[in-house]
Amino acid sequence: MKNKSNKITLLFVFFSILLAVISYGLSNNFHFTSQSQLLQYGFIKDLGFIICSGLFFKFILSRNDIRNNKMFEKMKTNNDEIRESNERYDIVAKATSDTIWDWKIQEDDFIWNKGIQGVFGYKKEDVGKTSKWWFDRIHPEDSIKMAMKLYSFIEQKTEKWQDEYRFKCADGTYKYVFDRGFLVKDDEGNAIRMIGAIQDVTKQKEEEQRLKLLETVITQTKDAVIITESEKSNRTIPKIVFVNPAFTEMTGYKPTDVIGKTPAIFMGKKSIKHEMESLGKALRGKEEFKFETLNHKKDGEEYWVNFSMIPITNQDGDHSHWISIQRDITEEKKQEKEKEQLIRELTQNNKDLKQFSYITSHNLRAPLSNLTGLLNLMEEIPIENAELKEIINGFSTSTHLLNETINDLVKVVIIKDNPSIQKEEVLIKDVFENVFNQLSFLISLHKPILKIELEKVTILNINKAYLESILLNLFTNAVKYRSPKRTLRIFVSSKEVGDEIVLVFKDNGIGIDLERNGDKIFGLYQRFHNYPDSKGLGLYLVKSQVESMSGSIQVESEVDKGTTFTITFKQIR
Amino acid sequence: MLDLILCVDDDPITLMLCKMVISKASFANEIITAQNGEDALNYFDDLKLNNLGNEISRYPQLIFLDLNMPVMGGWEFLDMFSKHDYPKLFKDCKVIVLSSTIDPADINKAKTYPMVHDFMSKPITKEMLESLKQVFH
Repeated sequence: MKNKSNKITLLFVFFSILLAVISYGLSNNFHFTSQSQLLQYGFIKDLGFIICSGLFFKFILSRNDIRNNKMFEKMKTNNDEIRESNERYDIVAKATSDTIWDWKIQEDDFIWNKGIQGVFGYKKEDVGKTSKWWFDRIHPEDSIKMAMKLYSFIEQKTEKWQDEYRFKCADGTYKYVFDRGFLVKDDEGNAIRMIGAIQDVTKQKEEEQRLKLLETVITQTKDAVIITESEKSNRTIPKIVFVNPAFTEMTGYKPTDVIGKTPAIFMGKKSIKHEMESLGKALRGKEEFKFETLNHKKDGEEYWVNFSMIPITNQDGDHSHWISIQRDITEEKKQEKEKEQLIRELTQNNKDLKQFSYITSHNLRAPLSNLTGLLNLMEEIPIENAELKEIINGFSTSTHLLNETINDLVKVVIIKDNPSIQKEEVLIKDVFENVFNQLSFLISLHKPILKIELEKVTILNINKAYLESILLNLFTNAVKYRSPKRTLRIFVSSKEVGDEIVLVFKDNGIGIDLERNGDKIFGLYQRFHNYPDSKGLGLYLVKSQVESMSGSIQVESEVDKGTTFTITFKQIR
Repeated sequence: MLDLILCVDDDPITLMLCKMVISKASFANEIITAQNGEDALNYFDDLKLNNLGNEISRYPQLIFLDLNMPVMGGWEFLDMFSKHDYPKLFKDCKVIVLSSTIDPADINKAKTYPMVHDFMSKPITKEMLESLKQVFH
């Protein structure tokens, strides 16, 4: 700059001198010599003037320069400051992720920063330019309360303004926001502008609500929750730092009674004794631990608890606390005891009954066996008297019938006594062959038409003797109750359906009136036809045997059409 | 045909029946009876005393034993008879448990005694004796 002012001064001096020299030369050529002295004087005066004015020029210019420079410097610093502040603002706006708004109150001119797009998803062109746009997006439930607080702040009745409300996003959902603002006032103290920063606190709010919900688990649960500090020395039982209301409810101890103390005050000394070793081990090893113990309430009453201790670690993974949960199981214990007592009584009763039935059957069988033995002997002695012979025949028949009945009853007792009787893998085909061998006499006598459909390798996991007995009973029943009007047809099939074995036994006999007798058909001593050799025991036995093998039996029957039995066994592999 | 057998039962009819069936089947030459376990044990004790130090030349080859009897039952008798010097002195004596019990536990228990040959259900029959003849000729 200095050079420039010098340059201008020098240029001025140079041109002025040049002009002075030219004008001197010209006037020297055209004027008289007598005037040359005057001319010389004029030239020197010109030069002097030029130099003086040149110096003056230089002085003015350099002074201006200095002032200009000062101004420039000042403007430059100002400029820098503004730029810096702008940068800072941008950085802060970016860093805080707050949405900043600027509201010129009188003009109702509302400006948002980029946060309104980034946080709430609005497009640049959708963002409104008035305060109404802002108010319209506040949740209806929050808007009245929020507006009241805001206007009392603008009217400067309150010192500070910050508020929490729900703000609507572009997609229609609401976000919890925390809004803080300050006022800009004019010289007379009127609010002319308000600037605010909106913070999205949805996550915190949700977390807060989640924590509140989680907290209710502790405060509302019926289980007592105790939090104890981890004990560094590992020598004593850790001290209590928190108990929930259920603890007070359960034990009668108020939080102030137990906080800072050890759980030993309510632990039953007797019952904890044998758990002490394993408890100590768990405490040292920071392991989860569970036990049942008898504790004492504040008033001394004893109660059973299921006690579990869970070690808690802090963020660094160091063990910091124990959470203990106590469940009052006094009632359960009581019920358990009652149940045990009941089971004991029932088992004893059952045993007694079983013994009774064995003794009874033994006592019945003993004289009966004598009778049969004696009758057997008698058979070999010829009897002359016809009347006596008839009497003895009747005597013999009755004795044998009684014997059979007793034997059948004995079978029932044995079946009932062995519900989980030994089971084996049985080929149904083998069982059928066995049964038909035993029935060959009946078959040859009545010549029924047999249709048998057995799936080839069907193996049942059942008791072979029972299955034989079941088939024998059903078969003899079919023969016994055949219709005199037609040839007896028997259809037997077995097949696997899913994990079940289904046995179907069907005849075309006289049938049973199920409407009248449906509920009695498998009952003990239920007879539906007045046949001399029917005792009403066969189907009862069949059902007992089927059920002792966890199977089930169904019957369908129509009078004078026939009867179908369906037996189902679960195939257990 | 066996020489000597013992029937132990508290029921006189059963004893009578046994005697009759055994003689009809020509199963044994001589049948002796006892009312209960103690009675039977006394019989064996007498045998011991009478043959003190000597080998007992004649004793029952087979016992038909009832289980439920007063004074001493069949189980108690079996317990006593399998102890002391009985098994040594009467080593050829076998027992058939003859009872009207139906308790499967009894049947299984009977087979745990070494001298018990079999468990049989009452009444005693000729067929039963015929099959026993095959074993004890």
